[in-house]
Amino acid sequence: MLVFVLVVVMFAYASVGLGLNGKVPAGMFTYGISFAVIVGAAHLAVRRLAPWSDPLMLPLAALLNGLGIVMIYRLQESGRAGNAGTKISTMSSSTTAFQVMWSAVGIVAFVVVLALVRQPRTLQRYTYTLGAIGLALVVIPAVLPASLSEINGAKVWITVGGFSIQPGEFAKLALAVFFAGYLVSKRDVLALAGRRVLGIDLPRARDLGPVLIAWGASLLVLVFETDIGTSALFFGLFVVMIYVATQRTSWLLIGVGLFVFGSLTASKLFNHVGARFKAWQDPYSAANVFCNPATQHHCVSSYQLAEGLYGMTFGGVLGRGLGQGQPYWTPLVQSDFIITAFGEELGVTGLMALLIIYGLIVQRGLRAAIAVRDPFSKLLAGGLAFVLALQVFVIVGGVTRLIPLTGITTPFLSQGGSSLVASWMLIALLMRISDTARRPAPQPIQDEGMTQVVRAG
Amino acid sequence: MNRALRRISLACLVMFVLLLANANYLQGFAANNLANKPGNSRTFSQQFQYQRGSIVTADNKTIAESRPVKGIYKYQRYYPDGTVYAPVTGYDSIYSATGIEQAEDRLLSGSDPALAVHNLVDMITGKPKKGARVQLTINSAAQQAAYDGLKAMGLQGGVVALDPRTGAVLALASYPSFDPNDLATFNGTQLIKVDKKLLADPNQPLRNKALDDTFPPGSTFKIVTSSTAFSSGKYTPTTRVFAPTSLTLPDTSNKLINFDGEGCNDGSNPTGNGKVPLIYAFTVSCNTVFGDLGMHLGGAALRSQAVKFGMNDPNLTIPLPVAQSNYPPVSTPAFTAYSAIGQYNDTVTPLQEAMFSAAIANNGTLMKPYMVQKVTAPDLASLVTANPTTLSQTVSPEVAANVKQLMISVVQSPAGTAHATADIGNLDIAGKTGTAQNGINNTGLDDAVFTGFAPASNPKIAVGVVVRGGGQGADASAPIAVKVIQAYLASLARQ
Repeated sequence: MLVFVLVVVMFAYASVGLGLNGKVPAGMFTYGISFAVIVGAAHLAVRRLAPWSDPLMLPLAALLNGLGIVMIYRLQESGRAGNAGTKISTMSSSTTAFQVMWSAVGIVAFVVVLALVRQPRTLQRYTYTLGAIGLALVVIPAVLPASLSEINGAKVWITVGGFSIQPGEFAKLALAVFFAGYLVSKRDVLALAGRRVLGIDLPRARDLGPVLIAWGASLLVLVFETDIGTSALFFGLFVVMIYVATQRTSWLLIGVGLFVFGSLTASKLFNHVGARFKAWQDPYSAANVFCNPATQHHCVSSYQLAEGLYGMTFGGVLGRGLGQGQPYWTPLVQSDFIITAFGEELGVTGLMALLIIYGLIVQRGLRAAIAVRDPFSKLLAGGLAFVLALQVFVIVGGVTRLIPLTGITTPFLSQGGSSLVASWMLIALLMRISDTARRPAPQPIQDEGMTQVVRAG
Repeated sequence: MNRALRRISLACLVMFVLLLANANYLQGFAANNLANKPGNSRTFSQQFQYQRGSIVTADNKTIAESRPVKGIYKYQRYYPDGTVYAPVTGYDSIYSATGIEQAEDRLLSGSDPALAVHNLVDMITGKPKKGARVQLTINSAAQQAAYDGLKAMGLQGGVVALDPRTGAVLALASYPSFDPNDLATFNGTQLIKVDKKLLADPNQPLRNKALDDTFPPGSTFKIVTSSTAFSSGKYTPTTRVFAPTSLTLPDTSNKLINFDGEGCNDGSNPTGNGKVPLIYAFTVSCNTVFGDLGMHLGGAALRSQAVKFGMNDPNLTIPLPVAQSNYPPVSTPAFTAYSAIGQYNDTVTPLQEAMFSAAIANNGTLMKPYMVQKVTAPDLASLVTANPTTLSQTVSPEVAANVKQLMISVVQSPAGTAHATADIGNLDIAGKTGTAQNGINNTGLDDAVFTGFAPASNPKIAVGVVVRGGGQGADASAPIAVKVIQAYLASLARQ
C-alpha cells in the first residue's frame, strides 16, 4: 500500500515538472526520498507500536500528505526559473522544504502519540487537564494583541519570533478528549429525559448547562477571532459527541437550533459575518469581487472565492494537468484554497478521488469507534472522525460555494505546520483506538490440567 | 452508542455526497456558464496561451503576429509597421480589441465553429491550438504610399483605395495614427497610461479617420449630381446649362457663388448670366451651375441617387463597421442647391469618396467593399474565401460612361481643377476635387477632398482622400491619390 502511495506521489511530482517546463524536476529525488524515509519510519513505528491498527489509515493519510507536498511544490515553482505562470508572492522558494520538514514533525508527533498513548483510556485521566489546555489554546489568540495573533485578517495565530502556530488545530484534539472524558462520566445524567414535546424527549433544563457553555464559547471564538469555521467545528464536535453519548436526538436538535440561531444573530450583529454571506450569494458580481474592506464597511471581497471557482471550472472534468492550470490567480491558493488548485489541475475526477480518500479515513475512524468496546474510546474515535469529516465539509463546501466560505485549513493538503502536525496526531489517536478495537482478546487458558502459568507481558 | 455512531456515519456520508455532487455540478455543468463570466481571468488569459493567427496583406506582408514570450502569457501580439497598418489591424490589448483583430477575432483566436474540427484533431494529436491566418486585400505598396502621403501633409485625414472591379480594399490609411504595439503590452498600468494619452490627444489618433469620421464631400458630390442629371435622360455632357456668376437661392437672401466669386466662363458666357456645357462646369467645378441643376433635379432625386452610391447606410461593414455617410432629408430648394454641391449637411467617409469613383469606374456597378481575402486554418485548409458581391447598380453603364468623361476632363483637360496636380505621366487618372467649406460662415479651414480612379481606360484602382483643413482638394489631396495610384500600379506591374 505504502509503496503504491509513494509511486503515485512520485508520478505526480514528475508530472508537475513536465507540466511546468517539460523537465522532470531536479528536486524530485531529494523530496521523494525524504518523503519515502518519513513514511517508511511511520510504517515501522506502526508495526511496532500498534500492529493491529487499521492498515488503510496510514497509507491514505500519507497519500494526502504527499499530494499536498506535490501541489505546494507546483505552486511554489509557478513563474519561477522560467516556469509557466506567475510567481505566487505569498510563497517563498523554501515553502516546499518547510512543508516536508513539517511532515517529518507531523510523523514524529504521530509516533510520539502512538508511543505515549498505549491504551486510549490513559487519556481519560487527563480529561480536565486537556480541557483546560484546549480552552487556553482557543482563548490565547483572542486575547493576544493583533500583532501577535493576526495573519491575513484571521486572528487565530500565536506568533513568537517569526514562528507561527495555529493553536485551534491542537485545541480541536484536546477538546475532543475533554468532551469524551466529560461525557462518559456525565452521560447518564444528560440522558435523563425531561418533558416530552412533539415526540421528542427534551433534557431537563438544568442539564442544558454544558451545551450552553460550549455554545457560548464557540460564539466567543466567532466574535473575537472572526473565525466562523473553527467555532462551527468546535460546536459541531461537541453536539455530535453529546448525541453519541446520550443517544438523545433532542440534543442534536437543540445544538443545531442553537447554532442556526447563533449564526443568524451573528450575521445581523457582526458585519463580517453578514458580508461573508453576501459574498457567498453572488461571488461573481463586480461589487463583491472588488469590494475593499479597508475602505468600505460591511464588506468581504469575494475575489478569492470567485477565482477559486473559475479555476475549478477551468479544470472541468479531467483537469488541466499538474503544472498546466493557472491556480496562481487565486490569492493564498496554497492554504485554504488548495482544493481548488487540485480541482483545476486534476479536474473533478481528481477532486472526487481526494474526497473519497477523506471519506475512507472518516469511515475507518467511525468503524473503529463502533468496534471498540470501551465507551471513552468509542466517543473519542467518533468525535475525531466526525470532526475530520466536518472540517473537510466546511472548507471544501466553502471553496466550492456549497456553504458560505469560512477559512479553515484542508487537513493534510494545506500549507502550514500546525494543521499537518495536528492531523497526524488525529490519525495517531484513531489508529490507536482501531488497534485497541482489533487487538485479539488475550487467549483464555485452554488446558486446565497443566500448571497455570501467568503470562508475562 | 453504536446506533448513534451509525447515524453519524450516515451524516458524514451525506456530507461527502453533497461535496461530490456539488463539485460535479460546478466543474461539469456550471463550467460553461462560469467560463463566460466577464471577470474570469483564466478564460481571458487563455487567449494569450496559444498562438493567435497572423494578419497578412494581399502581397503576404505580415502586419500582425503572435510571438512567443516568457511569463504568464505564452504569446504576445506584435505589429510590424504598426503605425501604418493600425487603422487596418486595430489592436488586441488585454482589455479590448479593435479593427480586424476585433472583427475577425473568432477566427484569429481559433474559437470559431469553423475551426472546431481542426481544434479537435489538434487536441487528439497533441498539437497546441493555433488561430487561423487572415489574409487581407490590402496592398502593402498602396498602404505605405497612402500613409506616407498623409504623414507628409501632417494633418488629420484618411485615404481609402478600392479595386473597383471587386470592391477589395487596397489601402486604408488614417493620420495621425498610433502604434498598436504600445497597446499590446501585458502591463495593465502601462496600458492604461498609453490609452489615456491617446484618448487625450486632440488629433484623436485612435479614431480610424478612413471609416469612423465623416467630412463634407464638397464638390466631389457633383459626381452624384451629374449622375442624377444624366440618369434623368435630359442631359448629356455637352448639354448647355445655366451658369450665373452668382445664383440667388429662392426664398432666401443667400447667394451661391463660385470659388473666390469667379465667373463660370469657357468663353461662351462672357455676361456671367448665360450657359456653358455641363462638362465645362464640372471640369472647373462651378458651384452655381450644379446648385441650379440640383434644384431642377429635385432633392428627392438627388437623395435617391446618393443612397444608390452607398450613402445613408448605417449598417455597412467591410467587416470593420463604417460610419454612415449622410445625405440629409429633402428640404427647401435652397438647401437642395447647397446639398447638390456637397455642402450643408452632406457628410461622407473617405471610404464613401472611394466608392463614388469605384462605381463610376466599374460602369455604374458598385461592388461591396471588403477587406478579408482569405482565411486559412493552421493546417492550410481554406476556411473563408472572399466572394465579391454587388452593393448596388448606381447608374446605367451609359450614364457611368458620361460621368467618367467628366472626371477624365477634370484631370486631363488643361482647364481642369486637378490638371496641375494629378495629370502626372501616363497614369491616365480620372477624378474630381472638392474643397469643402467648414465652420460658421466658412471661417474654418477648408477640407481638401479628392476622389478618382486609374487607368481611366481600364480602371484598376479607385481612391478617396480627405485631408482635414488641407485647403484645396487639388493641392492637398490629389497628390496623395496620385502617389497611391502610382504605387499600386507599379506593384501590379512587378507581379
